[in-house]
Formats: sequence, structure tokens, C-alpha cells
Amino acid sequence: MNNTHEVISALLDNEPFHPEELSDALSDPAGRALLIDLVMLRRIVQPGDPAPAARTATTVSRYSWRVAAAAAALFLSLAGGYIAGQQRAETMSSEAPTATRVVEAESFVPTGGMR
Amino acid sequence: MADPEALYGANHRRLFRYFCRAVGRTEMARDLTQEVFVRMSRTAIPVAQDGDLRGWLFRIARNLVLDHHRSRRRHPEAGPLTSEPMRSASQDVSAAVNEALASLPAIDRDVFVMREVAGLGYEEIAAACELTPDAVRSRLHRTRLLLREQLAAPIATCRTTAMRGATQQTTDD
Repeated sequence: MNNTHEVISALLDNEPFHPEELSDALSDPAGRALLIDLVMLRRIVQPGDPAPAARTATTVSRYSWRVAAAAAALFLSLAGGYIAGQQRAETMSSEAPTATRVVEAESFVPTGGMR
Repeated sequence: MADPEALYGANHRRLFRYFCRAVGRTEMARDLTQEVFVRMSRTAIPVAQDGDLRGWLFRIARNLVLDHHRSRRRHPEAGPLTSEPMRSASQDVSAAVNEALASLPAIDRDVFVMREVAGLGYEEIAAACELTPDAVRSRLHRTRLLLREQLAAPIATCRTTAMRGATQQTTDD
């Protein structure tokens, strides 16, 4: 690596350099061309700026919300099922339910079809 | 001990940019960025300064890239990546950059991409690539000169565009 290259690389990489050496390097057209080309090279190698990977914290947070929602849904369905079961058990106990209406047949007369 | 979330949060963008150029595919870069976090959470984070930790993190990243390239050599995908018929000029430049980077030895590509794309310092790159800072400096410079030749056309176009932009701005002022 010659001195021109070295000082231009140091400038590009924020490394310490002697200003006089840089001045000498840039007084040479080849040195100026090198600096410009390396700056342009840096520019063209930058990737476009698509969205980086989703933050894991966000992913974890979303995951936690889903788990919490699923747990809540499971709890509600279990609780609902339990309450419904309790009510059904009450209605299906061995004791006959109290009559709410009584219909009395005055006289039973068959309407045919008997032999 | 460093907090994995904080360490990842401070570096995930750099990692993603590094992966974008090191593997040449955005989707794969996303997956690999996440994979760094998974691997990091499985191991004990060394007690070190921020710069050294970044080097350590990028060593994990570099190993993932090497694994990725090994796997692609074993199972090459059908169809060239650069054959899409309707590409914009910037996509053409990006494809040329990827091609030029892919032609470099892995160590030189990683040193270059870590410096120019991820913005790591010599010490951090040295830690990530298991080199000395002097070796990083020398490889970096050699790679820059090589890429300057290989990418002469896109560099010239970029220079012309930049000059045109600067002239336009001067006229507007």
C-alpha cells in the first residue's frame, strides 16, 4: 500500500492521519480520483433500505398477546361450559320438577280406529 | 452481563445491512438477523466493552453467512438470480455489486462489508474475523482497489449522477 492509498483509506475510515500527507495525496490527480471513486464505491454498495428484521421484542410481545387472548378464550369457554353444565344438572336431577300448569281431561272418548 | 435485548436492539440494523450484502437477498437477510438473536439467546454473552461485544455479535453473523454459502454450494438453487427481465437501473447496480462481492474470497468480502455497509471499526472487524487490525486495514484497502476496477461502470455512473445533482443544486441556489 503506498502512502497516497494509506492516507486516503485512513480518511475514509476515520482513522488518524497527517494532514500534510493528505494534502500531498490530494494534490495528485490520481489521489483525488481514488478518493472520489472510493466514496462512490461506498455509496453504491449500500443496500436499499428495506425494513430490517422485526424487533424480536415486538414479536415476543405480539406472541404474548396471542397467548393471553387464547388463554382468555379458553377460560371463558370453560367457565361458560361449567355454568351451562350446572344449570343443566339442576334441571336433570332425579326429583320431578314442580308442575307449572295442570290440564285435566274431563272424559276420554276414543275417536275410532279401535276394533 | 449485557442484556441480549439491548445488544440486539443496538445492532440489528447493522446486522441486517451486513447480511443484505453478504448473502445478497433481503428475505434471507431478515431470517439471518433473527437467527443471530436466537443463537445469542442460547449462549452466555461475554463480559466486554460495547465494541468487543459488537465484534462477538458479528462473529456469530459471519458464521451464519459462511454456513449459508456452504449450504448453497451443496444445494444450488435453480435459475440465476440476475435474470429478471424488467429491472431498474438501481437493481442492475445492486446485482453488479452482489456479483462482485460474491467473487471475492469470503474473508475479504466480510471485512469490506462489515466496514463499508455495517460501519464497524478496524478493531471490531478484527474481533469478528479473527484478524489483527493491521490485517483488516490491508485487506480492506486491497478489496477496495479490486472493487474499484470491477465496478468501474457503476462508479462512473454514480459519479456523473452526483455531479449532475451538485450542478443542479448550484443552479437552484
